[in-house]
Amino acid sequence: MKKKSLLFGGMLGASMIMLAACGGDEDTSTNEADGNENGNGNVSEGAADVDEDDRTLTIAMGTDIVSFDIHDHNNTSTEAVHDNMFNYLFKKDENQEIHPELVEEYEQIDDRTLKISLIEGVEFHNGEPLTSDDVKFTLERVATDDTLREHPNYNQIQEVEVIDDLTFRIITHEPEPSLFHRLSRIGSGILPSEYIEENGWDHFLNNPVGTGPYQFEEWVRDDRVVFTPFENYFEGAVEEWDEVVYRVIPENSTRVSELLTGGVDIAVNIPPADWERVEDNDGTHMKSETSNRTVMLILRATEGYPTSDVRVRQAINYAIDNEALTENVLQGAATPTRTRVAPGNFGANPDLYDTYVYDVEKAQELLDEAGYGDGFEMTLHSPRGRYLQDAEVSEMVAGMLAAVGIQVNVEFMEWSNFVDMRAAHTNEDAYLIGLGNSMFDGAYSVDWYRSERFEGETDYVNEEIDALLEASATNMDQEEREQQIQQIEEIAAEDVPHIMLHQETINLGINDRIDFTPTMDEMMYVPSITRN
Amino acid sequence: MGKYLLRRILQFIPVLLIISFIIFSLVFIAGDPVALMLPEDASQEDIQDLRESLGLDRPFIVQYGSYLMNLVQGDFGDSFRYNASALPIVLERLPATLELAVAAMAVAIIISIPLGIWSATKQNSFMDFFATGGAVIGKAMPNFWLGIMLILLFSVTLGWLPVSGRGTLAHLILPAITLGTGIAAEMTRLIRSSMIEVLSQDYVRTAKSKGIKDFFVVYKHAFRNTLIPVITITALQTSTVVGGTLITETVFSWPGLGQLLIQAVNTRDMAIVQACVFLIAIMVIAMNLIADILYRLLDPRIKYN
Repeated sequence: MKKKSLLFGGMLGASMIMLAACGGDEDTSTNEADGNENGNGNVSEGAADVDEDDRTLTIAMGTDIVSFDIHDHNNTSTEAVHDNMFNYLFKKDENQEIHPELVEEYEQIDDRTLKISLIEGVEFHNGEPLTSDDVKFTLERVATDDTLREHPNYNQIQEVEVIDDLTFRIITHEPEPSLFHRLSRIGSGILPSEYIEENGWDHFLNNPVGTGPYQFEEWVRDDRVVFTPFENYFEGAVEEWDEVVYRVIPENSTRVSELLTGGVDIAVNIPPADWERVEDNDGTHMKSETSNRTVMLILRATEGYPTSDVRVRQAINYAIDNEALTENVLQGAATPTRTRVAPGNFGANPDLYDTYVYDVEKAQELLDEAGYGDGFEMTLHSPRGRYLQDAEVSEMVAGMLAAVGIQVNVEFMEWSNFVDMRAAHTNEDAYLIGLGNSMFDGAYSVDWYRSERFEGETDYVNEEIDALLEASATNMDQEEREQQIQQIEEIAAEDVPHIMLHQETINLGINDRIDFTPTMDEMMYVPSITRN
Repeated sequence: MGKYLLRRILQFIPVLLIISFIIFSLVFIAGDPVALMLPEDASQEDIQDLRESLGLDRPFIVQYGSYLMNLVQGDFGDSFRYNASALPIVLERLPATLELAVAAMAVAIIISIPLGIWSATKQNSFMDFFATGGAVIGKAMPNFWLGIMLILLFSVTLGWLPVSGRGTLAHLILPAITLGTGIAAEMTRLIRSSMIEVLSQDYVRTAKSKGIKDFFVVYKHAFRNTLIPVITITALQTSTVVGGTLITETVFSWPGLGQLLIQAVNTRDMAIVQACVFLIAIMVIAMNLIADILYRLLDPRIKYN
């Protein structure tokens, strides 16, 4: 009997130790937490009334950053974090105009050569000075290593020729009219060559170093990224915030709750259902800005499909009331458009933006002419939850097309299956997709009309567009190139291989203590975020 | 006992081999991660180039073979998403999940043992009805919904507890309750029925007839004999806990295995998925082993030979 009780006691003891061990774990993490997340553990009384003197900026993201390898991802929300740590040679301002950032002077020597001198006295976070060698190392890595995800956007660069410590030439294989666009975006942050060569990539990825206004402090995967101001930043240290914390909160309702209670200052991707809640809550408000993503229907122009007839495509375009979509489904937070190239992008065609065609009678007429007066049946593949209200948009489009006798079967797909469908070319009549353009150069958007690119998938061929695409690809006369791109947009707006629906907005929830205006490129440049 | 342990541990090897094959096949069938890794406007050549550079164009058996070879050396391959070795990333998350799982089990035990015993001794009373009814409701509530409701009540409306994240003890309370209640419900019912059975046995009646107080009869004599099924269910519930953390961790942005696994599945990050599932499998197997050992300690009549 006694022995048994001993055993039983031992068991209890063991479980106590287990619990205690677990408690110990918490203690250590509590210390860490106190050190660098003042804003987070801060529990307020329902409303978001956060301490005025709190100098920690907390931003809630929907997904974690992918990596600190700036060349090996193509994720906008990751770039929005990197943007604060790395500098580009050129930078876009809030109107998407390109200005020199690390560059003192530049000169286009000929169609293939750009000569650049760097600003003197720029320092990396580890104290090393920025030199031409760093630029050579950075750009040649992404230009030559074809396993990197950003490689296709930089393989136009042939080499970077170092002249002296601060001067170099960038030489491209062909005349490259989009070079400035390339040098001012994701993948073009300048890396510290010596630091990486001495310590290796793994070390760099865990202890990244850049020249930007903020320096790396900590990255706990799927939890948080922490930055602190860089004292020796070449434009002067940013004094507004002692610390920037990016928290990863994938669940929408949790992210909204964190914002409402003051746990975070900025929360991205607030779903339309919560907009009113955020507005009505004491201490928080919504901010929206047009994004660079356009939602559209991609049609089959393949022989044998009703949509191979331009009149049928036009009829579909006429049958869709874009304004009803943006007003009702998207609660006004979207702009109807007839082109993918929105203002703010090179080659934007203002005539085609913030406009749409809607005429049910005309649509019916066109269908009669094409011999589909009695309508037909088609399948629309649609992702669900990938874009703002995507499922609702698809359903409403199906309803509108039913009015002219086109019976649309909407097939909702989980995102990875949707991607597979596209990769395998098994798209049926139509699919809904939203496309952005991190290059902010319209050439990348209109390239979707190039006939060889979607052979076997959408099979759209237009020789006029193909000729214009070829002519504009290496055209260094920017004015002429702009007109060529605009012309392609005009042709496409008539020929409608893709039916443009609307341009999305980015919808942020913001604490009233913060002054921040989002920009179209979805970056969150911390030096532009201030306390009220 | 030592021999028995050794044999049980050796049995792990074929089990793990089978698990590795199943996971690998499923991930293989599920499809190609490459298209997901590239942006929407990537061209076919870009997709093909990346697929080749990752070795994903090789046949199944070659890929599985090299996977196994690496596995033996403790290498689960590289995560596509993080571009780093998968195992350290997964191990990094383990403490957070264990912390949550242990806390949830603690919540479950604290609720279910007294409640189960109480409703068994007061069988068919109003309180018994209340406890069993509560157990059904607890079991029926989805973790996802419960978590969001708890956040709305305790964080947004009352402002008592933080919404999400990991750090202080306060961060642990809501997720532990969310995850613990479902298990508590299951355990309460089991403890109740097991206790009722034990209480009707001869030795209990004997003890009672000898004039031992009810309290001692229940807690000293009957309770230990109820423990065997309780341990079984606790061990079995571990897999439920680990499964439950997937959802609970997402709701509370708890940086554990579950959140990692869900992200990895969404992005088809094979290496992470495999390493996670493997680790979870090992945990479940280990819990079963621990349960078997505990039986032996509790009831010497159970022999393993």
